[in-house]
Amino acid sequence: MKIVIANGKHSADYIIHKYHNRYNDLIVINNLEESCRYLSMNNDIPVMYGQATRESDLREAGTENADLFIALSKSDMENYVACQTAKKLLNVKRCISTVTNPKNVDLFKELGIDSVLSSTYILGEQIRNAASIENLINSLSLEDEKIIIIELKITDRLRVEGMCLKDLGISDIASISVIIRGQKSIIPNGNTQLMADDKVLLVTNEENREAVLKVFKRKK
Amino acid sequence: MSSNINTIVVGAGRIGANIAKKLQKENMNVLLIDKNKDKLTKVDDFSGFVEAGDATDLSFLEENGIREVSRAVFVTEDDNTNIFLSDICRKRYGIKEIYIRLNDSRKIKIVDEEVRCICPFDLSLNEFSDLMEGEGK
Repeated sequence: MKIVIANGKHSADYIIHKYHNRYNDLIVINNLEESCRYLSMNNDIPVMYGQATRESDLREAGTENADLFIALSKSDMENYVACQTAKKLLNVKRCISTVTNPKNVDLFKELGIDSVLSSTYILGEQIRNAASIENLINSLSLEDEKIIIIELKITDRLRVEGMCLKDLGISDIASISVIIRGQKSIIPNGNTQLMADDKVLLVTNEENREAVLKVFKRKK
Repeated sequence: MSSNINTIVVGAGRIGANIAKKLQKENMNVLLIDKNKDKLTKVDDFSGFVEAGDATDLSFLEENGIREVSRAVFVTEDDNTNIFLSDICRKRYGIKEIYIRLNDSRKIKIVDEEVRCICPFDLSLNEFSDLMEGEGK
């Protein structure tokens, strides 16, 4: 995969470290001389000193037709223009932008950036998840938050403990994909019973998320 | 903010301040915005509305009536900010008449063709060429 990493220092270093292998062709461009030195010394990789918002610099770096473009600048506006330049002028297939202001997540998506990430935004979502149900372990959003995978732990304080899946009444709004019981993973059917200490992985969508979680609330 | 503002100007540098004044002289209701309060107080001879704040924060723009304006001028010092604002104002608020300043005219390529771009560098270069041609006569 051809991946372009634009700007960022420690964040760029992390991504380079993770994806610098024979399967990927990494292109690194940075507008700070000091960061260029840091990144190239740490990773033994060429780093281009240039502006990721400038078509000519991106072209010279070899951005054209890249599979993925990752914008990591602290300036949201710079990331926005870099992504648009990559997409509109250099035929990059997919752009990911980080943003400092969490309000820009929805805005950038509306303007055509494929994926937008903000650590504060994610934190906000995590708090919402943690607050809505105590036994929720994890939640992952896919396809622009249309599909949600939820990991739940069943305890004896839950209403659903001991019930069969077919009696939960969620077959139209969610699908329980797997139940992890001790060392075993069980692919369940309607007659599978939920037991305390089970971990449940279920798939649902944004509209039905709250309704599904309601089923897993505590006993009164 | 009282409405019937029809033009919003973001960036109260010399260009922005003078555009705001010019529009006001033509009897338009202008709101001039800059994130730096000092810049706004330095604009003399202008009796339109002024507001200090971050224009890239949409809630700030909405509080100041962006939904009602028919014309927007983005002339901050940062090209990226001007491009972003023009995109969002066209897409989300449907503003038809948008002008932006671009210090780097090569960025025109990613700006929507309905947005009108002012490029000081190109203008100076053209002016120079014209002047030189005049000399040659």
